[in-house]
Order: sequence, then structure tokens, then C-alpha cells
Amino acid sequence: MNSLAETSKWERIFWPILASALFIATWHYCVAWSGTRVFPSPRQVELGIGELLHKNVLWMDIIDSLRRVAIAFGTATIVGIPLGLALGWYPEANQVVNPVMQILRPISPIAWIPVAIIFFGVGDHAAIFLIFMGAFFPIVVACINGTGNVPSTFRRAGRNFGLSPTQLLARVIFPAALPQIIVGLRLALGIAWLVVVAAEMVAVDSGLGYLIIDSRNSGKRYDLVVAAMILIGVLGLILDLCFRRLEKIKSVRWGFQ
Amino acid sequence: MSLKKKILISSVGWVVLISGLHAYMNVNWPAILNDYRPLAQRKITVAYIPVTCQLTCPVTDYISKVSEGGEIFMPRLFQGFPEIKEALISNRVQAAFIVAPLAIALAAQGVPIKVVYLGHRYGSAVVVRKDGPIKTFADLRGRTVAIPSRFSDERLLLFRAMKVWGLKPGDLKMVEMAPPDVSGALAAGAIDGFSMGEPFPSQAEMGGYGRILFQARDYWPDYMSCILVVRQDLIDKRPEVVQELVDGIARSGLWLDKGKTNREDAADFVGRFYYRQKPALLRWALTKPMDRVVYSPLAPRKPDFDMVRDLMIETGVLNKKIPFEDYADTRFSDGAISQTAWKYEAGIASAK
Repeated sequence: MNSLAETSKWERIFWPILASALFIATWHYCVAWSGTRVFPSPRQVELGIGELLHKNVLWMDIIDSLRRVAIAFGTATIVGIPLGLALGWYPEANQVVNPVMQILRPISPIAWIPVAIIFFGVGDHAAIFLIFMGAFFPIVVACINGTGNVPSTFRRAGRNFGLSPTQLLARVIFPAALPQIIVGLRLALGIAWLVVVAAEMVAVDSGLGYLIIDSRNSGKRYDLVVAAMILIGVLGLILDLCFRRLEKIKSVRWGFQ
Repeated sequence: MSLKKKILISSVGWVVLISGLHAYMNVNWPAILNDYRPLAQRKITVAYIPVTCQLTCPVTDYISKVSEGGEIFMPRLFQGFPEIKEALISNRVQAAFIVAPLAIALAAQGVPIKVVYLGHRYGSAVVVRKDGPIKTFADLRGRTVAIPSRFSDERLLLFRAMKVWGLKPGDLKMVEMAPPDVSGALAAGAIDGFSMGEPFPSQAEMGGYGRILFQARDYWPDYMSCILVVRQDLIDKRPEVVQELVDGIARSGLWLDKGKTNREDAADFVGRFYYRQKPALLRWALTKPMDRVVYSPLAPRKPDFDMVRDLMIETGVLNKKIPFEDYADTRFSDGAISQTAWKYEAGIASAK
């Protein structure tokens, strides 16, 4: 099978399930064979998830994490897209801002933790700030590149039709750059989900990151730790799947074909 | 030279350079060589964190190294209890100083460890902001207080005080923090107070932003917090090593309680070589006043532990009444009963 072949529907469901089953089986037998009494088996993790659900904190933690990501990612989008479009539109401005941004960009959001706590104290705001720092730069950079890559014929055609600069940006440049912006947004959402867990490990007392730390602090309860890890993975996957549906919208689909 | 060759040579060169620098600067060679010794000569690793409750650990190591027949174990510095717990569970360290309730909880969860000795008595305090609104314990109602772990005597201490002041369990918001972080958090206003072992109360006092609300002994006579636990397999296979360790800790305890000179000396070498804290800070914690922390007698007593266990059950962090004998082994403290203080005096090391 190569990448050009159409996969049939049953194959698209069957193979992933088989791979997951194999993974869980390998995990189960590794635990059984090594005889470890510390690392949990899949069954224990399942019970761990049940216990977390039973304690009634799980939904609150999930909602808290999602809420923080929504606020931070939303803010990063609202601030980042116009800024990125503007910088892409005015390359001179971009040249001025670029060095500072390229220095700030590689700094891991985790490295901002001490500063975030000084600015915002321990709480929601610090966590949201950290997630924002993680999501903001990929969005801005994607917008700058997207705008820069719009063929100049599009701009000239737009001008010939008598569009004002604002109209040109909103009706020609933005739609043309949208596929690239969507890729940037998807990347940023992935990073935001990575950062929310790390941020919740230090700054707050709710959310999935806190759930990991809380389970770690409760003695030898690695079943709960692994349960929380799996939940984070599954929720991340769901977020990504939802976002991929955006790529199927007609106005951006052309960019992916 | 072809491009392929260039890339290959520079990547290999880079890996060799980094590995060489790592081996030269970072690798703890004595610890690695120790793993290749025959079992009978192998030294055990003892985990500790930089608090004065565990001062006997570095003191024993230092004195045995400079004035006796050489070190008797390998001390290993950690920054918080979760890390120590994980190292202990996975047998990376064979003995550790941890808080008593954590030891009881781990034993109740089936981790094969035994309490063999105490680290100290007293030496914890509840600290609030110096210029803040909290004048009495009752003012802490609705405030955030940092504790080292949900399984800590510092947390239980708060509950004891809450009983006296008529506060209900939900009245205080307790957050778990690594001990070295609390002073900064208090100074920044991120927390309203903390219940921690020395030298962090002293650090807040010396820094001018913290005020001691009360000492542990005010609400808990004979208070104990950090204790020495040893893995069961070590007790079974090499009891003489455990005895040597407990003897050393006992001798250090007596040595520390001999007088101010010894404490000031300990503050100096422990601060410089072990805790990486300012000696002045440890000097403050150890001598202002002298009975802020006490290092003898350190034999584990059943009534103390029963009280801790019952308080843990009452505050919801333990679910079974595990008997003292299941998590403590008193034969080593009994064996150390006739130990005397080290003969070491400040200056001996340099004179030699």
C-alpha cells in the first residue's frame, strides 16, 4: 500500500484499533513479565480512571484545563492574527520587530514560570499567560509567512479592482493566507495543550496537570498518574481532530490540495 | 572533503566533546564506582533534602570523612519529597530522610520500608508575613498556607492548632510546595503563610518579610518531623550497615547538642559543602535559640507515631490503622543507645 492508494473504510478503523490493542497487550505483558510492583498495568490504570471519575474531580479538572486553553488560545488568536497580518503586510515593520520576536520565540513557556508568578501570582492568570506565550508566536509567524507568500498578482489584481488597503487585507490577503494560518493555529493549539499541563503543575490547584502532581503526591499511586497521562493524550487527540475539521471548510480546503 | 564526511566528522566531534566535558564536569565518579564494588563493600545511598531536620545526615558524612575511618554512606541531595519517594520506591536509594506521615503512608501502601531512627525533634514553625494582617492563628481563616506534603507533620501541626483555635478543616487552604520555594512565595505574596521545617522559617525571618507565628512545640510537645527510613531488603541482608548508619546519626545528634561551637561549625560546613545555603542562615536556625531544633534523643517511640497515625486517619490521608511494628524497627535505635558524641572538633580537619 502506498500513500496514493485509497484506504477502505473498514481499514481506517481496523488498523488503528489493532495497533492500540497491540500496544496495550505489550504494556500488560511487560508489566507482568518484569514483575514490577510500582508501574501499573492497563487494568490498574482503568481502575484508576474509574476512581478518578468516582471522586468527581475529573470533570472539573478537564473543564478547567479546557477553559484555560480556550481563553489563552483565543486571546493568542485575537492578538496574533491581526499582528501577524500587519507585520506581513509591512515588511519594514517586520524587520524592526523580527529580531526581538526571534529571541523570544525559542524560550520555552515553562521558562516563563517564575516571571509569570511574579507578574500574576499563583493562580489562573499565570497559567493562562504561560499558555498564551506558547501559542502566540506560532500564530504570528504563520500569519507573517502566509501574508508574505500571497502572490503579488493577487495584490495587484485587488488594487486594480479599486480596493482600499483595509479591504485588500480583509478580502484578498487574509483568505489567500488562511490555509497557512490554519496550519499555524493547529500547531499553536498543540503547543497550548502541552503547556497547560506543565503550567498547571506549578501555578494552580485544578486541571489535568494538577491531577498528575496531585496523584504523584499521594504516595505510591502511579496508576492515577498514568491514568491522568492517558486522559491528557486522549483529550489532546480529540482537540486536534476537531481542529482538523476546520481544514475541510471550503474556503481553506483549496490550500491543502 | 565531501559534505557527507564533513557532517559525519562534525557530529562525531560534537558528541565526543560534549561527552568529554560531561565526564569531566558533571559525573559523580565515586557514586558510579560504588556500584561496581562487591556487595559487602558497597556503600548505601542516603537521600536527604536541605532542611535542618535532616542535618545529622551531612554532619555524619562530613565528620566520618574528615576525622574517622572514611565515609560510611553516600549522601544524595534532593530538593523535595516526591523525588525522594520515587527514588526510594524504585530502590535508587536504600535509605532516606522523609517526613514521618509519608513513611507511614508508604508502608501502608505496601512499600517495603522501615523507620529506624528520627532526624530531630522540633524545628518546624508556622510563618506569616511580618507586616501582614495575620496576628493570631484565627486570622489565617480562609487564607492559603504552604505545606511540604499532604503526608507531613507540618500539615498535622496546622490541624492541631486549628483544633485549639476552633477552626474547621476547610477553613485553611493548604497547598503543597517544595520547601526551598516557600520563602520566595511568601515574600512575593503568593501565599499567606507556610508551615515548614528550618531553615526556611529562619530564612523568612532573616529576610525581614516573615514572622514566626508559632513554633511546633507550642502546639505539639515532643514534635518530630523528619525520620530515617531504610528499605526492608537492606535490613534483611546487611543489618550491620544499617546499624553503622544509625550509630553515625546518633553520634552526630549528640555532637550537635553538645554546644554552640559545634552547631556553628556544622552550620559552616553543611552550608558550604552540602546544602549550598548561606552558613549565616543555618547558624541562625541552629542557634537562635539553641533549642529551636534538638537532635537527641532520637529513638522512635511508639506513642509519638501512634499519635501521628491517628491524626492522619482523622484528617483523611490514611485509611487503615497500621500498627507501629509494621513500619518501624527499633532494634537499631536500641543498638545505638550507648553511642557517644563524635570526638571531632572544629579545626581538626585542617590541622591534620
